[in-house]
Amino acid sequence: MFKELDPILHSQLRLAVMSLLISVKEAEFTFIREKTNATAGNLSVQVNKLKEAGYIDVTKQFKDNYPQTVCKITPVGIAAFDEYVKNLQTYLRQ
Amino acid sequence: MQEDNITQHESLAIIESMINKAKNQFSENGFIYLLWGWVILICSVSQFILQHLHYAKHYLVWMLTWLALIVQIIYSARRDKKRVVKTYTDEIIGYVWITFVIMMLLCGTLTSRQLPPQQYYVANIIILVLYGMPTFLSGIILKFRPLVTGGICCWVLAVAAGFLPHDLIILLLALAVIAAWIIPGYLLRSRYKKQNLLA
Repeated sequence: MFKELDPILHSQLRLAVMSLLISVKEAEFTFIREKTNATAGNLSVQVNKLKEAGYIDVTKQFKDNYPQTVCKITPVGIAAFDEYVKNLQTYLRQ
Repeated sequence: MQEDNITQHESLAIIESMINKAKNQFSENGFIYLLWGWVILICSVSQFILQHLHYAKHYLVWMLTWLALIVQIIYSARRDKKRVVKTYTDEIIGYVWITFVIMMLLCGTLTSRQLPPQQYYVANIIILVLYGMPTFLSGIILKFRPLVTGGICCWVLAVAAGFLPHDLIILLLALAVIAAWIIPGYLLRSRYKKQNLLA
């Protein structure tokens, strides 16, 4: 029996962000934007959705007087990503 | 990247591509290896020459390491400011080198306290053994063979030190840093430059 894939993760950009963040300790918004080739506006919306779901932590701070947004995956996000990959494997095995 | 419906196969491709992009993020440019490699090389060879010229305060050449430390602090602070991503690899390697520095400080302090000045060569053998540890581990973590080889070279040279006249042991330090830090440092620099050209 197939479980439904997590709708928060089953989206191109959100999945890309989560896949990046699961591989690193933390990353700046600019790094994520560069690696995903997303626009700042779209990325900002998707990052907020992941934050609201509790999948990532977003810290806004200042570095050399410039605003900086640092994203980091949470334990809830790691568990959700793990579950998503497991469900994906079940679909692909059929 | 667009926000749209994706198939399971596309999901898998996204995950794979993003994990690869993060994995290939190679932040080590070799600067610190080259800085310390050259400083230790200059200090050890100079001390060897000064000793053979019978200059009493030959050990003063090691004051150069304080200058290297200042350069490293300034460089690291600047690099941290520019850093846009922190990987688990960077973090683990950082702790490996912190462990090494603590061990060096402890061994340096304790040997200088307990050993008479004419037996300073024992400290050099201990240093050779210690150099191998962070170099070998960094090579394993970064999957960078020249560092692994460099670490092993340090341990081989430490064994060789057991069979050499005491006054030559200081030169083994020079050989160790060439194998462990200077050669891998230049190779890391060229790998880093290549990555930035491809980016």
